[in-house]
Amino acid sequence: LALYFHIGEREEKCIIEDIPSDTLVVGNYKVQRWDIHIRDFLESAPGLGMFVTVSSPSGEVLLSKLYGPQAMFSFTSYHTGEHIICFQSNSTRIAVIAGSKLRIHLDIRVGEHFLDESVIQAKDKVNEINVRLEHLIEQIHHVTKEQDYEREREEKFRKTSEETNSNILWWAIAQTLILISVGIWQIKSLRDFFIAKKLV
Amino acid sequence: MPPRGSRGPLPPLLLVWALAACAARASEITFELPDNAKQCFYEEIAQGTKCTLEFQVITGGHYDVDCRLEDPDGAVLYKEMKKQYDSFTFTASRNGTYKFCFSNEFSTFTHKTVYFDFQVGEDPPLFPSENRVTALTQMESACVSIHEALKSVIDYQTHFRLREAQGRSRAEDLNTRVAYWSIGEAIILLVVSIGQVFLLKSFFSDKRTTTTRVGS
Repeated sequence: LALYFHIGEREEKCIIEDIPSDTLVVGNYKVQRWDIHIRDFLESAPGLGMFVTVSSPSGEVLLSKLYGPQAMFSFTSYHTGEHIICFQSNSTRIAVIAGSKLRIHLDIRVGEHFLDESVIQAKDKVNEINVRLEHLIEQIHHVTKEQDYEREREEKFRKTSEETNSNILWWAIAQTLILISVGIWQIKSLRDFFIAKKLV
Repeated sequence: MPPRGSRGPLPPLLLVWALAACAARASEITFELPDNAKQCFYEEIAQGTKCTLEFQVITGGHYDVDCRLEDPDGAVLYKEMKKQYDSFTFTASRNGTYKFCFSNEFSTFTHKTVYFDFQVGEDPPLFPSENRVTALTQMESACVSIHEALKSVIDYQTHFRLREAQGRSRAEDLNTRVAYWSIGEAIILLVVSIGQVFLLKSFFSDKRTTTTRVGS
């Protein structure tokens, strides 16, 4: 767990994962609290936990649990799209002491299939290759899933562009028509007005 | 993320040592950077490790962000303002905590979605050569080349996904803007034209009902 960042005690930090359906996402985190007295992050703070909330692209909540200061969580996506993983500490201190912050170590893995290392240790060479090949096939399936999802997204992109294109065309025609008809109405109305007022 | 390299039949202790010595990690995170905000990430790196930082802005405004990478002494290794995409490779000159920050402080109201991928160290070889007596068998070298090819497939896939997301975001922005602007313009057109006529009419009519004769 190497990458870390800081947030305020009551702050919520979210990260976005755009993934296809049926994808397993595993996250590992470790949280430490800043202690003013020793001016460093405590190795472990009792009672410190993290709320981990995972929302699916349609807004429904896939996972919402309180974990301890160091934990591993995982979820499988049902729909394709942007899933949002949010972290918030369970700190209940209302008056936040100035300079108080949390350090979160984070590691998120998407779509990985884990190789069972104990099986690899078997002396049988053929078995080993077998296991590695199966692992490889799983990974390729994940690549294919991502590509399907990418095709869907590109189609949506294309539809949006074509909609913009026809929008521009029709609105330009509509505005020209409005311009012409309003112009004609203006002239007619003014002419009738001046004739009525016996100015012409 | 490429699968962690699998090792040959090494005894467990050696395996642990091998893991510790060449710890290759890659962290990729997509997060939202609010306007006027700065987000920093820290990583502990051993001396001599080759690292790569790559980032891309996916949605928001002009799709650009400031990025800055500092070594444990505070010396700036990489600093770019308003970049949409960049990739930076460096070798850690000393042990310590390296820090990189993304800043959206120049933007007043657009928040940006930023993706970054920080790769530390090279991937360990699939079949490490410590215990070897012979060269790699055909099967093993086939495995190695498949592994490399898949890694580059995943790399390309990620890049393509990000670029497509960025393009789609721009297209959706454009669509909304065209719709609102066209409706707005049509309304303004109508209002102004009708208003003109009534204004002109009002110039030629008095409050009293006497007709004014204008000299021809």
